[in-house]
Amino acid sequence: MLGSTIINHRQHVGLQKLSGLAGITHSFLGPNKKYKFIQDEVSGESALVFSCFGIFENLQLTCAVGQLVYETIQAQQKVYHTGSGCLLFLAGAWSRAALEFLQSGISVADIISAMSEGMDICLDVCRKCSVSTDGLGVEKPTVEASQASGHLQGTTKVGHKTLHGCGQRKIKLSRHFYEARSENASPVPQPHQQRPDIKHIAEGLSHGCVDAMNLVVEASRIQSKSNPQDIRCSMFDVTKVVTCVLPGLPEDQACVLPGCIVLVSAEQALVAHHLKEQHLKVALINGDLAETYRHLGFKKPTGIQCVSDQSDCSSSSKDEEWMEKIVTLLLNLQVNLILVSGLVSEKVIQRCCEHRMLVVEKVKASVLRAFANATGAVPVTYAMQWSKHCVGSGAKVAIWRDLSSHERKPSISVNISTVANSELVTVILTSCVQSKLQAVEEQFWACAYRLHHTLKDKVLLPGAGVTEMLCIHQLQRQATQHVKHHRAANHYRAAVLHLMADGLIDYISTVMVNTGRVSKVRARTAVSQQLQDCNTCRGVDAKFSQLFLEGEQEDSDAPAVKIYDNLSVKQEAWRKALDLVFLVLQTDAEVITGVDQQTDAAQEHLMLL
Amino acid sequence: MSRLVKKTPSLCTDLPLDNSDICNKLHLLRQLLRSCFGPTARLKQVHNNIGGHVVTTSTSSVLLPAISSSQPFINLIKTSILNHVSRFSDCGLFAAILCLSLIEQAKQSGLRGNVAIGMNKHLLGLCTNYLQREDCGCKVKLDFCSSQNLITLARSVISSKPACVLTEPEALHISKLAVQAFLLTVPCNSQGIVSLGKIVTVSVEGHAVLNSAVFPGLLVDMHDVFCLNKVDHLHSSPLLSMVLFSVSLAGDLSELGDGVIEVHPGVDIDSQILDQLLELGKQVVRDEVKLFVCQQVIHPVLQQYLRSHGIIVIERLGITLMEPLTQLTGAQPVATMHTTIPAKAYGKVRDLSIRQFGSKTMLHLHPPVESAICSMILCHRNETMLSELKVVCQKTEHVLRLTLREPSALLGGGCSEAHLAAYVRHKSMNEITEAVPALGCSQTEYLLGVEGFCRSLESVAAALEHDGGNALMDLTHAHYWTHRPDVMTENMEESLGFCGCGLVESSPNQKWTYLNTKYPEFSPAALSRDVAVQPHVLDSFTAKLNALQVAVETANLALEVRYLIQDLN
Repeated sequence: MLGSTIINHRQHVGLQKLSGLAGITHSFLGPNKKYKFIQDEVSGESALVFSCFGIFENLQLTCAVGQLVYETIQAQQKVYHTGSGCLLFLAGAWSRAALEFLQSGISVADIISAMSEGMDICLDVCRKCSVSTDGLGVEKPTVEASQASGHLQGTTKVGHKTLHGCGQRKIKLSRHFYEARSENASPVPQPHQQRPDIKHIAEGLSHGCVDAMNLVVEASRIQSKSNPQDIRCSMFDVTKVVTCVLPGLPEDQACVLPGCIVLVSAEQALVAHHLKEQHLKVALINGDLAETYRHLGFKKPTGIQCVSDQSDCSSSSKDEEWMEKIVTLLLNLQVNLILVSGLVSEKVIQRCCEHRMLVVEKVKASVLRAFANATGAVPVTYAMQWSKHCVGSGAKVAIWRDLSSHERKPSISVNISTVANSELVTVILTSCVQSKLQAVEEQFWACAYRLHHTLKDKVLLPGAGVTEMLCIHQLQRQATQHVKHHRAANHYRAAVLHLMADGLIDYISTVMVNTGRVSKVRARTAVSQQLQDCNTCRGVDAKFSQLFLEGEQEDSDAPAVKIYDNLSVKQEAWRKALDLVFLVLQTDAEVITGVDQQTDAAQEHLMLL
Repeated sequence: MSRLVKKTPSLCTDLPLDNSDICNKLHLLRQLLRSCFGPTARLKQVHNNIGGHVVTTSTSSVLLPAISSSQPFINLIKTSILNHVSRFSDCGLFAAILCLSLIEQAKQSGLRGNVAIGMNKHLLGLCTNYLQREDCGCKVKLDFCSSQNLITLARSVISSKPACVLTEPEALHISKLAVQAFLLTVPCNSQGIVSLGKIVTVSVEGHAVLNSAVFPGLLVDMHDVFCLNKVDHLHSSPLLSMVLFSVSLAGDLSELGDGVIEVHPGVDIDSQILDQLLELGKQVVRDEVKLFVCQQVIHPVLQQYLRSHGIIVIERLGITLMEPLTQLTGAQPVATMHTTIPAKAYGKVRDLSIRQFGSKTMLHLHPPVESAICSMILCHRNETMLSELKVVCQKTEHVLRLTLREPSALLGGGCSEAHLAAYVRHKSMNEITEAVPALGCSQTEYLLGVEGFCRSLESVAAALEHDGGNALMDLTHAHYWTHRPDVMTENMEESLGFCGCGLVESSPNQKWTYLNTKYPEFSPAALSRDVAVQPHVLDSFTAKLNALQVAVETANLALEVRYLIQDLN
């Protein structure tokens, strides 16, 4: 059976749902995030969530729009680990705009064409106001002079591009933006590329998570230090960063260490103690280290019957036999460290300990890969595959800290690393409040990916709402400028562009409100005041970011920290937000399959086929 | 055992089309499908009633299978349309809307069933004859010397599905890729029977559409990234030997089925099978194979053995890639592990390289000689849009293939339908004196039949409009135009711009009529063939012609149904 719901156009239910769902995100925007509790009234279980993504993970929405939103946020989270709050907020703001257009009788086709144009304008602004990371934050005494000359030549040098490596514009000289130039954009092409100042960039990208970002910077420093042959290695390799979460310790104990920190039992720690300061041979297992383990895709035969004249066909002896074989093999190969991606039974760990072999289970695939690369070990699936060629050399083990407490079983953290550089870095995340650990971890990864993507993009956007302000400015300007030239076909364009800009204004003011000490009204006034100034040719950049931080830094005379945003994260989040609006806006009916005619026919809104 | 429930008597409906419930449902179905038609269509969220996966689509091949009804009538039409879609991919909605319109028009006209059927058949004949004619005014010959028309055709298909959410440049990029991929599947120098190659589509979520690309050869997923290191070695060799297994090499007894094996406790079956596998490995190494591919799982020990001999191993290839891979390499899939591999089973590969798309690491196999296999990487920002894009690209591939059978296309954007309707009106008026006695109906009935048929055709064209615009037809070429509802009528020609297919531009001395209103019949003039003006929208000729036939025949079948007997048990 099939039912179909027609959504009333003037009050598009889908858009209303989207806007409603977006309302959840408001308190997650900006540097000061507020946590939320989600409680299940049936089971009484509750979850503490720290991000927009977390909400959708916990809510398990069944409605169609909810699923679409979750799918989109997941796609954003998978690649960028950040920006889903911004995505959903704008999806909400723009869906409200679309709803307003529908109510005032603008057709869906017109809304889509005008909003697409608005998006093109915004993305173009992003491209034009992006700043190259090369040499960013490095003091340059010549800035003042060259900037002045830049200002003079601004109008004539339209389209002058300085391309470097990735083809990104270095100077922001364009008809629309010469007046809104960033203070420390480098107006002269550098004679040779400078290494980006990670510390400076990271500071600007921390977005309120200063502690987490400090850990990221430290991780990056350790990675580049351990890579001396490539001094220009400013890439920050997130794939070689692992986190180790330690509950019960105060948050200021968080730190970064080269190598991989794992928690082991007291007995294993003893072995580790014996093995310290030695160059160890290492063997890697991709799977479980167990007699019964079979590789993925192996089907256990069901039709095998054991026929025997003796009665003992026991598996325990088989297991024992297997363990004996493994130990002998390992002893022959002189292996002392075994890293296993899957599980290892207590018995096997113990047996290995007896022979001074340290077995570590549940090792991440990325760690295995790093060890394989640095030691020459080859990961295998079965212990029987181990041979001289599979064993790597040059692994190290050291006791890091004893984290045992009275109640729990003893656990000691051990650092396993390699003599040759593996660039492997462990970030220790701590918190006294156990339920906060997830937030700490989420924040760390958001910061890590923000830096990672920036170094990959090699460009940054001015943050703290400056990019949005420039977009608003440009949207409003385009709305008034071209309206005369266009034919009737697009006379709604101005209205649409204005409302898109309003969405961004709403975004900025919400972030400002969340930042604290500013009311929504004041925030909006400040934004519109700034836009006025913008029109009278004053630098929006410096002034605005100052204003933005007003709440924070009122009483200090220290210069405001330059705040940055990611180019690709922002562009993708905006595009995805508009995708959501378009998909929902164009949907006029739900087709529900498997409707039971008897029970569901009573629902009035359902039309049965 | 005796029956616990009494058998319910069958339900018999006399003259189902007179039943208001059935008529309402047909009308609802028509509205539903009509709203999905064309580039500005409305989308549908398809899901089950227990919160399952949601699909957002306006494609008939996705939407129609989800539709099921308690009314056999609806299912009859659905099945008929789906059958067309499975054969031609395109014009499913066209066929469905036309069919439902024809039924509705026949009901409204009050014609006797057999008269309506006879008229529809006759008029369908007029249409198909005209469409086959050399001088047909809505047909364009496709010129294979230039890719322009092919790209236009591809773009018309791709941009007709708004759930792909593509910008203009993105739609153009995908259209070009579709044509490029299609051209790669046409073998260059084969004698005798030409068989087309295959496009293997790989979708990558979360990346920009403009990163989508087409590669000659085959891209194969490397599941295990631990084994990438040694690939670079293989670039220099001239031709690499490869072997392909279709049987599982996981080392289990998958061939056993439900049988039972009795073994002694000392016997280790696993290791015996493994020995057998390693024997296989040894032979492969002896025969200097460089690439070892298996449709299913390969035992890790065998993998390690092969790799240690410098062989690249690919497991879990999947059934869909088996055929293209055999075509590409000339290898014959080996279906057993118990015999030695015959020499002729080995295939050849020219070159291997690694390509990275998002999180996917792919091995690129280049064909030994010119091959008609190519791979298409499709990227999009989210799953919903990506899955629609994938469907649309497959449809485009099919539509392009159909052009080889008949190198023509029809003017798109509603122009063919409007033109055809005008032609049918004119032609049927001209031959009314001969046709009426031949059909055995009265002149009034004849006129009603023609009117119903033409209105149905016009209503399909008008179905392209979803934003309250007015559907118009010009009185010279009988092309289709839309007119915004909010523009004054004085500057009509200014606001109209171009017709649906983009061939005709409005001019002051042009006259229009609203579609589905009375207008004096006229002979639609063919356009002077100006090479400089190319149509912007083209439809598949073969698919549309068949859709036209399917629609009329299905409608006729529906009109012919006298009783509906349903077993309610």
